[in-house]
Amino acid sequence: MSFFEKGKLSGDDVHLTPLINDLDTGIWKYNFNTREVKWSTGFYTLLGYQVNEIECDAYTFFEHLLYHGDKPFFFNAINNRITEDTPSLQLRFLTKKNGYQWFETAIRKLDDEHGCMVYGSLININRYKQDDLLSANNQITNDDAFKTARLGIWEIDPQNLNTIVLSKQVYDLFDLQNHLKLSVEEFISFFEPPYRPVLQNAINHTVEDSRPFDIELLLRSAKNNMLWLKVKAVPVIDHLGKCTSVKGVIQDIDSEKRKLLKLEQSINLLTDQNRRLQNFAYIVSHNLRSHTGNLQFMVNLFEQTETTEEREEIFSHIKTISDSLDLTIEHINEIVKIQTEITKERKVVELEPMFKNICSALKNNIETINAHVESDFTQCREISYIPAYMESILQNLLTNSLKYSHPDRQPVIKCYTFTEGKHIYLIFEDNGIGIDLNRYGDKIFGMYKTFHQNTDAKGIGLFITRNQIEALGGSIKVDSTVNVGTKFTIRLV
Amino acid sequence: MIAERSPANTWIVDDDSIYVYGLKKLISIKELNTQLSHFVNGEEAIYALKKANEDYNLPDVILLDINMPVMDGWEFMHEFAKIKPQTGKKIAIYIVSSSVDLNDIYRAKNISEVSDYLFKPVRINQLKEVFDNV
Repeated sequence: MSFFEKGKLSGDDVHLTPLINDLDTGIWKYNFNTREVKWSTGFYTLLGYQVNEIECDAYTFFEHLLYHGDKPFFFNAINNRITEDTPSLQLRFLTKKNGYQWFETAIRKLDDEHGCMVYGSLININRYKQDDLLSANNQITNDDAFKTARLGIWEIDPQNLNTIVLSKQVYDLFDLQNHLKLSVEEFISFFEPPYRPVLQNAINHTVEDSRPFDIELLLRSAKNNMLWLKVKAVPVIDHLGKCTSVKGVIQDIDSEKRKLLKLEQSINLLTDQNRRLQNFAYIVSHNLRSHTGNLQFMVNLFEQTETTEEREEIFSHIKTISDSLDLTIEHINEIVKIQTEITKERKVVELEPMFKNICSALKNNIETINAHVESDFTQCREISYIPAYMESILQNLLTNSLKYSHPDRQPVIKCYTFTEGKHIYLIFEDNGIGIDLNRYGDKIFGMYKTFHQNTDAKGIGLFITRNQIEALGGSIKVDSTVNVGTKFTIRLV
Repeated sequence: MIAERSPANTWIVDDDSIYVYGLKKLISIKELNTQLSHFVNGEEAIYALKKANEDYNLPDVILLDINMPVMDGWEFMHEFAKIKPQTGKKIAIYIVSSSVDLNDIYRAKNISEVSDYLFKPVRINQLKEVFDNV
């Protein structure tokens, strides 16, 4: 049954019927009171049916054609107040051959003598809706990809070269909640100070010389998160080749960058260790050679001299060389031992009793120069360390301070610990003769480096101390002023 | 008879007392024509050089060790370069060391004031040559 049968339309509108029936649009009408339904020819055609192929009634309309999932939405719409501004509904109807398809229907209400009517148009929007859904889906996929890659887009606003347009992902990286507009300056200020001029220069070069850039910068986000970002940009140029704006991407490369930095650190450490190892080999060779050279020298002289007196003198030197050789080899052993002992298990070392023991072992040396030795381990009483190392470190530093005390004043030696973040520090301070670091610098940790004309200086203690500290991943640093004193700062872990 | 040459004035700058003792002994046994003075580190030698310059008593030869406390051989060369323009005499400086570190050898060769690099222990022929070159 067609919607507008002849005679059913009243008066002037009759001539519209064929027109309406020829439209590629369907018209439907529903009477709330009688539950009567009417459809135009286009309605049938749109759904793929011949006119009268299906029963035109409320049951067919609501239970058969309209997608059940859209029913509540549709009922809701027709039961509410409907005005000219009421938006069209998008609904799914079952077609004869193509399953459910999307249709758009604009609805109106009318009250007349026949009852309360609601009527509407019907247009197939399936293609458009599919594209829409697909593009929304693409958008979600893109957003997901950008989100997963932690990648965002930034652009200097071509309208206003001092402001920056950022994509949502960039705001997320910057921990900025509301998407406020940033000036170039504000944008740059989110990066750590050393990187600000780098970015500013890069932008300037792009604007002035149309030069693209690709740099890695450290960001401090609004929530104080430190993040390594890769900032890339290309110039946008006009037909004259002049840069009109700058466009690019920002990517979170934090974990890769940190791994790289760690790797670089390891390489530096290895290079350093290698250099020291080679240095060690040269030193060992030098020291062994100087003893064996002297030994050869003395043996030759011994053969060339005749008097008993001279021979006795030369022999006494040979004995000295023998002792020195023994000592040198002992030192080498000690250094090699650092490497073998590192495999030993760390134990909890209580610092106070260990330091007290060392002080009593060096009691004579302390009393001879009337040194005042203070210690304070209240900030950090114990540490997981290789006990033999800790003992050696404390003993070497104490011996060092006692050895280089200032003759004009009572020696005061302070030893204390503190923690900072995850690190434990040990400080060793004295008011001794000090050392000119401008002149000797890091050499004081070198092997067989002695700086004062002290006969008991062997130049081995601090070399071993540094090796032990570094073997366990720590570091040692020295501050000193001649005639004032020396301070060793040791990061144990 | 050939006229006797005046003995070479030789300074040893070295903290190794046994080596210095041996060198002195060897020179006296071999009756090498030289007169020896000994300084235990670079600083003492620089101080003595400044004084000797005033007294017109500069050495002909300096046998210089590298590894010494207080002032090592390199620092000595650095200081020597500063006072050299004020000295009117050619002083032959030999670096004498047990170090076979190539870095040390190249470094020595790159200092124009250094005549040569000798390895310890020095052989008698080398010593003769050093004194004959004066």
